[in-house]
Amino acid sequence: MKTKNGFTHLLNTTFANFKRNKVRTILTSLGIMIGVLSVVLLIALGLGLKNYLKEQFENLGSNLIMVMPGNVFNEEGGGGANFGAGFAGGANFDEKDVRNLAKIPEADYVVPSSFKSITIEGGSEKTSGYIMGTTEKLFPLLNNQILVGRFFTKSDVQRKSKNSVLGITLAEDLFTTPEKAIGKTIKAGNQRFKVIGVIEKTGDRDMDNSASVPYTSTFGKLNPDKTFFIIYLGTNNEENVTTVKEKAKKILLKRYDKDSFSVTEQTEILSTVNQIFSIVNAILIAIGSISLIVGGIGIMNIMYATVTERTKEIGIRRAIGATEKDILSQFLLESIILSVTGGLLGLILASLIVLAIRTVFPAAINLLAVVLAFGVSTIIGVFFGVFPARRAAKLTPLEAIRYE
Amino acid sequence: MNLTLLSSEKSARKNSSPMGNDKKNQSPIIKLENINKTYYLGDEKVKAVQDVSIEIFKKEYISILGASGSGKSTLMYLIGLLEIPTSGNIYLNNKNIAKLSDKQLSELRNEYIGFVFQSFNLINKFTVWENILLPVKYRKKEIKFNPEKKAEKLLKQFGIYDRKDFFPNKISGGQQQRVAITRAIIMNPKILFADEPTGNLDSKTGPEILTILENLHKKFDTTIIMVTHEKEIAKRAKKQIYIKDGKLVKKYL
Repeated sequence: MKTKNGFTHLLNTTFANFKRNKVRTILTSLGIMIGVLSVVLLIALGLGLKNYLKEQFENLGSNLIMVMPGNVFNEEGGGGANFGAGFAGGANFDEKDVRNLAKIPEADYVVPSSFKSITIEGGSEKTSGYIMGTTEKLFPLLNNQILVGRFFTKSDVQRKSKNSVLGITLAEDLFTTPEKAIGKTIKAGNQRFKVIGVIEKTGDRDMDNSASVPYTSTFGKLNPDKTFFIIYLGTNNEENVTTVKEKAKKILLKRYDKDSFSVTEQTEILSTVNQIFSIVNAILIAIGSISLIVGGIGIMNIMYATVTERTKEIGIRRAIGATEKDILSQFLLESIILSVTGGLLGLILASLIVLAIRTVFPAAINLLAVVLAFGVSTIIGVFFGVFPARRAAKLTPLEAIRYE
Repeated sequence: MNLTLLSSEKSARKNSSPMGNDKKNQSPIIKLENINKTYYLGDEKVKAVQDVSIEIFKKEYISILGASGSGKSTLMYLIGLLEIPTSGNIYLNNKNIAKLSDKQLSELRNEYIGFVFQSFNLINKFTVWENILLPVKYRKKEIKFNPEKKAEKLLKQFGIYDRKDFFPNKISGGQQQRVAITRAIIMNPKILFADEPTGNLDSKTGPEILTILENLHKKFDTTIIMVTHEKEIAKRAKKQIYIKDGKLVKKYL
């Protein structure tokens, strides 16, 4: 009862003070608000990036191995510093590599694929997308499901047929609905392809925006070098993944330098990419935290001013029985409330922004962000409030009451 | 119990022996022993109080008379536990206050001592009512009476109950000082300190305030220690202490 009485009084005093200094209170809280907003938002965006990547990889089988140019994802290579360099200076795989890799007995799938970023015409529309030259085995390997029509077949590949299977985005962009796309013709470069099927949404934006065609039909204008950007290897048995990887490496080393290609499980890529983004995110959050500290200094500044302004009041309170602890609690509480209010507002604003961008990007606010927003703003309130509060408490009653 | 508080204290007084007669058998409630207080104004050393020894007994009405700058206020704040002496000992009920913690000193200021100031020292962001009940907020122990009932009764007695929801800067000086007195006595202090209580008041309200203080002394046996620079006002007290340049003197001027 008594402590409740005391605390209610502390709160009343706090709000009476805030009411008297509305503008100052709002501006002080604003500092913390901006700090928390930037930190929470950065966490949310970082989380969104992870979600996005997960989405990209989720639909691929876990027994998937990728043979790519460059040494980016090699265990020995490490890091992502030469991401671009790896691709640029890497090996150019060709049909011979595919044939060699197909000799690995444990590899149930050997699927070469070339990507060409190009303007694709169809119907009366025009859009930029990808032409993916590959084989019929790509679809089962990547767990693609047909939405309408059919996939192209082994015979399509052998016959170099000009049939294509569209990703959902591309189909909708060109022909408004997947159904309307069937039987139509698309044009990329000078090549025409007949649309025979549309794949269900895969979640991989590039895949959804591409037209898969038999690679044999791209050898010409679309793929004059007859090279592949990637060769997917797949096994039906998870236990064989390592064996396939090792054998693939051995085969490729006969033709290429060890730094010019990489053989990676897709889970490794995911974790490497995640690692890179975690570091980037941590740096961004650290930068965001600077504004939190600046906000904290703002609070300290105002609290010092408040202590000076209210010196006489402190003296009066001491004269009627307030202890040093009572005064300390009063000022500490004020600084904590200022800070936590700012933190709360920052969190709310960040949530609204995240809600808004969720329509285009899977950003998310997690428990960590909430705990951090409250935890950090409380700590800032205490840390930057304790020095002014101690100054207030240590004033001798007489000194304080005589202050004008 | 709460409503009968005032009358029961009155009857208690009747039973005690007549004022002043039993002083020698009593021990002083406050005793100052060779008190010095020195502080620095910039580089200048100010000896505000020098070698002062005083004994104050229960139910006394004392005035401390001195010119401005004589150290009379400093002396009062020392007795009132608002300031720690540079040297010397202060005993409150035979207890050396140097040994008390901040918490204990604060508790004494809360329960045992009341202050009335020249400039009222009310907190302007709180209403009259909130100001009066402020000491209650700092009471750490249970209160055995209803402070709100007591506040209401006192405000009515002082004729300012209708001002209870006003802010202090919206009422007159005399009313403010009445509020300050109400705040000072809400916890039933044994000693009431008044620092130039009429200093900011006109010639009509000044004496009214003094009468209120004197009635408290008479009715409730509250020990009153009043600081003033006016001889006429000091004379109203039963006992005068003269102070000049920080030292006690036998005669004033």
